[in-house]
Amino acid sequence: MTDTHTPPFSLVDICGLHKSFGATEVLKGIDLQVKRKEVVCIIGKSGSGKSTLLRCINGLETFERGSLSIDGQALQHNHREAMRELRQQVGMIFQSFNLFPHLSAGRNVMLAPTLVKGIPKEDAHARAQVLLERVGLGQLFDRMPEQLSGGQQQRVAIARALAMAPSVLLCDEITSALDPELVGEVLQVVEMLADEGMTLILVTHEMAFARKVSDRVVFMHQGLIHEAGTPDDIFNRPQTPELQQFLSALRD
Amino acid sequence: MVEFSLWSIFSFLLGAMRWTVLLSLIAFVGGALVGMGLLMLRFTKLRGMSTAVAWYVQIFQGTPLLMQLFLVYFGLALLGMDTSPLVSAAICLTLYASAYLTEIWRGCVNAIPKGQWEASTSLALNFTQQMRYVILPQAGRVAIAPTVGFLVQIIKGTALASVIGFVELTKAGQMISNATYQPFLAYTFVGLMYFALCYPLSWWSQRLEKRRLA
Repeated sequence: MTDTHTPPFSLVDICGLHKSFGATEVLKGIDLQVKRKEVVCIIGKSGSGKSTLLRCINGLETFERGSLSIDGQALQHNHREAMRELRQQVGMIFQSFNLFPHLSAGRNVMLAPTLVKGIPKEDAHARAQVLLERVGLGQLFDRMPEQLSGGQQQRVAIARALAMAPSVLLCDEITSALDPELVGEVLQVVEMLADEGMTLILVTHEMAFARKVSDRVVFMHQGLIHEAGTPDDIFNRPQTPELQQFLSALRD
Repeated sequence: MVEFSLWSIFSFLLGAMRWTVLLSLIAFVGGALVGMGLLMLRFTKLRGMSTAVAWYVQIFQGTPLLMQLFLVYFGLALLGMDTSPLVSAAICLTLYASAYLTEIWRGCVNAIPKGQWEASTSLALNFTQQMRYVILPQAGRVAIAPTVGFLVQIIKGTALASVIGFVELTKAGQMISNATYQPFLAYTFVGLMYFALCYPLSWWSQRLEKRRLA
């Protein structure tokens, strides 16, 4: 529809976010704003809170303090209806794909649009076919997940998330469970989405990829955003010793 | 004294076996319906519901079925309800089966990886949709074998309904035994008939389990 006016707020707006698991504080006050069509990569050591932050954005994790809003709508954990509204805006792709194993690739893509948006089966079917073609799997509509390679499964998962027409897509280490030779095909799809103007927030260990697709890279360290900037700044001119150390450890 | 032919004993027991089968079916179908309801309550995030269901299960698992039968039979009478042994036994076995089935199925639902809940949550499905379209179709496959296995427990459990005067297979065996003074013969027949009912189910359950794991 009308994409001409620019809303006064960021698409994703995170302010002072705190999150603990028991006595361990994993997020210690995160501030992050992501604009429409922006591609943000979150990097950092494991345990730095990157995945938890991502999971907070669609409410898979609750948080204790701070605020989070998507497209101006504040996230309300206790309001189921509002949470489902919000989740339609926020797609998520997981490290372990999490396809529904009892449904074919196409049915995986069709399920949520038919149930949640009430789209008629035939329309959903046609749309699923288009989406599978976009991720290069047009021929595999009727394949079961177990008959697909990891890379293919992850691409189905991407199509499944896109089927809900989200305004932002969260990618949680989506290539970490893949054999090295399958990583490329998945990243290619993500790059295509980035080029098409999809808003993306990615937690990734693929530095070359982060450098290539990101508008902004965020380095997390011990539950805080330690450093953020353009890929050029982050990778070529790291300011803090922690980021320098993190990057040099990767190069070894 | 009247002589009983083996055939007449057999046909009398066969007639009583129909009641065992009927009572088992009522208990199984009723237990499955109630158990499914309890399973849903257990997994909704309604306050206290999960605990309440857990206690329900513990009460039925932690007391003898025989005592449950007495309590329902005499308890209903105490409440002024005029109940037949069949109704009492059916109610009691239904509750008993529901407790066990809900617990069996809870294990099957828990066996589904957390990622399935997370993926369906992030696709904005509500709880009922998640259960109906994502979790139960997968849990169902896991559940078939232990559920059929439990049916065997129910069939054997119906024998206890004899003590509240319901004439099923065991009670009929008692009657034959009393009339013929040949308890060993009577109970041998009864035992064989239970075995004929239960063994095919056990066999089927094991086959289903093997096929699932294959």
